[in-house]
Amino acid sequence: MAASSSLTVCGPEDISPPATPPSFHFHGPSQRTPTTPRPFQQHIHPTLLDTNLQHDQIQKLKARFQQLDPQQKQMFLYELVNCCSSAQLTYLNSLISPRLKIDFLKELPIEISLHILSFIDDPKTLARAACVSTFWNSLLRDEATWKSLCMKHQYQRRNSSICGGELLAPPSQRESFSYRQYFKRKYNIAAAWAHGGKVTAVDDVFTGEVLVTSLQFDNKFIVVGCDNHRIEVFDTLSGAHIWTLEGHEGGVWALQFKGGDKFDPERVLVSGGCDRDVRVWDLNRGRLVHVLRGHTSTVRCLKMKDKRFAVTGSRDNTLRVWDIERGVLQHVLLGHQNSVRCLEVHGDLVVSGSYDATARVWNMRTGRCVHVLEGHIAQIYAIAFDGHKIVTGSLDYTIRVWSVESGQHLATLQGHTSLVGQLQLSGNTLVSGGSDGCLRVWDLLHYQCIHQISAHDNSVTCLQFDDRRMLSAGNDGRVKLWDIKLGRLIRSFSQPAKTVWKLHFNDTKAVVLKQRQRYITVDDRPGEKIEVVDTIMEVHDFDISDEEIMSVLPSSSGIVPMDTD
Amino acid sequence: MSVRLLSSDSEDFTVAKEVAERSMLIKNMLEDVGDNDNPIPLPNVTAKILRKVIEWCEHHLGDPVTNDENERRNTEIDEWDQKFMEVDQETLFDIILAANYLDIKPLLDVGCKTVANMIKGKTAEEIRKIFNIVNDLTPEEEAQIRKENEWAEDR
Repeated sequence: MAASSSLTVCGPEDISPPATPPSFHFHGPSQRTPTTPRPFQQHIHPTLLDTNLQHDQIQKLKARFQQLDPQQKQMFLYELVNCCSSAQLTYLNSLISPRLKIDFLKELPIEISLHILSFIDDPKTLARAACVSTFWNSLLRDEATWKSLCMKHQYQRRNSSICGGELLAPPSQRESFSYRQYFKRKYNIAAAWAHGGKVTAVDDVFTGEVLVTSLQFDNKFIVVGCDNHRIEVFDTLSGAHIWTLEGHEGGVWALQFKGGDKFDPERVLVSGGCDRDVRVWDLNRGRLVHVLRGHTSTVRCLKMKDKRFAVTGSRDNTLRVWDIERGVLQHVLLGHQNSVRCLEVHGDLVVSGSYDATARVWNMRTGRCVHVLEGHIAQIYAIAFDGHKIVTGSLDYTIRVWSVESGQHLATLQGHTSLVGQLQLSGNTLVSGGSDGCLRVWDLLHYQCIHQISAHDNSVTCLQFDDRRMLSAGNDGRVKLWDIKLGRLIRSFSQPAKTVWKLHFNDTKAVVLKQRQRYITVDDRPGEKIEVVDTIMEVHDFDISDEEIMSVLPSSSGIVPMDTD
Repeated sequence: MSVRLLSSDSEDFTVAKEVAERSMLIKNMLEDVGDNDNPIPLPNVTAKILRKVIEWCEHHLGDPVTNDENERRNTEIDEWDQKFMEVDQETLFDIILAANYLDIKPLLDVGCKTVANMIKGKTAEEIRKIFNIVNDLTPEEEAQIRKENEWAEDR
């Protein structure tokens, strides 16, 4: 315990020479008032005394004091303090108080010091604490502190593309892994999400009044389906256009790809649209693999079970199960009386929503209909399915929840005042988006609406959430980032456009496809501004370097990136 | 049932057994030696600090024991504890050491949280002042560390 000895007023360490030569404004010990913040430099020092005689006297007094027993010392100090002027007491106080302070983190056993740091959940404080001294700096390099901070900020997500790998890797491959670096990266990503990332805009690929119908991306490819019969493929990192997949003879209305993992690098893309054909592509090479014919009207929705099977839903009232590897039809799922608008796949189960106001559960192995879910009184536009619960959104303004096992209706969620066109289900959280411009967050354990958010001036066109954030977009041309727990807006993304076609995000990136309107003048009609609309793709990158992040933070002046509203 | 405790400076304390057993160290000792009237020597705790520790244990006698790490971690210091911890740094330091030695986790947590609160939201210079720490980093080192930690500022 370092502090226990510091109560002695004149320890031997005090007889060091002053940092500066004796000052000339010395007036004598009795009138001394400390004026500088470092009072110990003004400590009565032998060289400041007039004669050696006085020096000797003080030395004797000190020696006498040291011979006293603890109780006598205390009495002596009591008497001494009693004959001090208030100026002297102030001086005494300034002399003593720093000595009564303790460098806790240095003096305590290291495990307790780390325990103290574990109660600080603010990285800013930790970063500043690292600048205090060499010892504090070394302590703050300790992995345990940052690991605990990672846990507290819930920077350990299972379904995360950037976390999982590093933490799940066997220790031998994890040697260079640093929680501090990891925390820093995740923290930077979170900050970039909150304040704006690096935005790459692509505006020279989509020409004319193209309508974007579908979008998916992974860490390598961005795939965009359009009503102009084309599928455009971009490089996710650079935003560069790689190629166009041509072949569909009508607008592309649905697409999905799978693969592209470390151990499964081949990507299979399935697309369908107005030409009634389903096309299977080798995405990595941009090559057509199969054309699957059979539907007699527009393919409106499709989902892949894996790289072997896919299910398509059509305006011809049927669903079809395809072996996309071999390129053959497996089953035709008959039963719906009107267009199949939406579908989801989980294991061997397929759920479909139709304009006939029913939803159906199918077994894709047998091709049989397992349940017919009746109750909606208008077209079903959206469906979500997690293997247990089925959720449907309808033009009758309601959302219905069903059990896949029994086919029973579990609940009706009311509140939207228009078509419910967007649904996402994750655990017990359901988020719905309506043509009324509202987002609603539901708790499916109690079937309660937790948040009702007036998000957009017009229909909600896109909706996606994960356990951290939620993005929505609308026909009002805006993209908004929400705190899903609080139901509060974090910020508006991008400059408002005419409409937002599609958006999709993962941990570190968001891709937005929107229609932009501009006014230009043309040569043959001078003075007149003509409205032109075009489609633009924005790639927002949130995993950016320290230098880049400094430039997007609100505190820094300078160039304001376009990713602010 | 009461237990006798002997501080390092030989002061003899008599406390209720439940109070003393808030200390896992004492609890284990009592289980080992069984009932007897001999005082338990605590060579690492002075009478001044032992008095404080006993005061704390008596006040928190009825507290439910929580093993939930997160719950312990996230609860704020209550008002009584805040007042209790309004002591000079030396006393706080000794209470933390005593809580650690006596193995009283909730008291250790309160002590550590108190120190953590002294650090929170402060600049490096403020922290140095609070704990009277001499900055032994060279300006170059300090600049380097600042640069390394720039990412955490102003979010």
